[in-house]
Amino acid sequence: MFDRLPLPSQFDRTIVAGGSVALLVASPILVVVLALLFSDQISAPEMVFYLAAIVVVAGALGAVLLPNIVHAALSLVGTLLGVAAIYLLLLTEFIALVQVLVYGGGVVILLLFGLMMTNAADDPVVQDGSQKPFAFLVAALMGSLFVAAMLDAQWGDPAATVVPFADFGARIFRDFSVPVIIVAVLLDIALTGAFVNARRAEHTPEGEAA
Amino acid sequence: MIPMENFLVLSALLFAIGFYGVLARRSAILILMAVELMLAAVAINFIAFATYLDADAFSGLVFALFVITVAAAEVGLALGVVLRLFREKRTANVDAADSMRW
Repeated sequence: MFDRLPLPSQFDRTIVAGGSVALLVASPILVVVLALLFSDQISAPEMVFYLAAIVVVAGALGAVLLPNIVHAALSLVGTLLGVAAIYLLLLTEFIALVQVLVYGGGVVILLLFGLMMTNAADDPVVQDGSQKPFAFLVAALMGSLFVAAMLDAQWGDPAATVVPFADFGARIFRDFSVPVIIVAVLLDIALTGAFVNARRAEHTPEGEAA
Repeated sequence: MIPMENFLVLSALLFAIGFYGVLARRSAILILMAVELMLAAVAINFIAFATYLDADAFSGLVFALFVITVAAAEVGLALGVVLRLFREKRTANVDAADSMRW
């Protein structure tokens, strides 16, 4: 069994390089955040929030910037698990569980299957006049506008309230039964549509092979 | 307690990053991944407002749950369309899907 394990010389160079970069970036951040925690600048929940936020933002940047598409998809997994941690910090365990199940278990697997079946490379057909600088400009403007608006607004006095885990099922099926039915129909239609679209057309009229 | 603005700023950043991805990527599946980032940002906002500002704190959670459900349905449907596109054009690049362009 042990002779099947890869030798250190056979490790993927990308994995080693990525791990080294992550270690170099993560250790100063960890030191700074722990120093802030122990000098009572921030509380323990805030420290967890900052760590999760760094994972979320770094994973999102990786998902939109990495040229290798499988690396981008794996980076997306990091973001989605970080978002689940953010949900936990917002005192909603149920949504965090749903996030891990649906995204970590379903959506990412579907995306990886899609990547494998289409060998989707990210090279533009139109080589000249790339829209990346324009896209960056628009996204930066919009992001700074949102951040400024969020920081500027008067939110009243926030006070955290918690929905008990046990109430969730009873309340969602009593108070929100009609939206639940609508979402169920939507899921049904979407999956039927996906099946009809992705199926190989066997009986096309002109006999054109799809 | 964590200030609410932290969550809102994080979700704004996540939305902007996803928006850049939608505009800059050319592969249909990578665009889908960026759309997932934007939807996650919206769900964070729903839950932050529900937890901090709503005394009942339930409607926002239900809408975040629906956002996650709709995102899952959207990924399934969109991958069906992308597979169809790949079968017709032998590529998943959105620049190739221009037969309805005027």
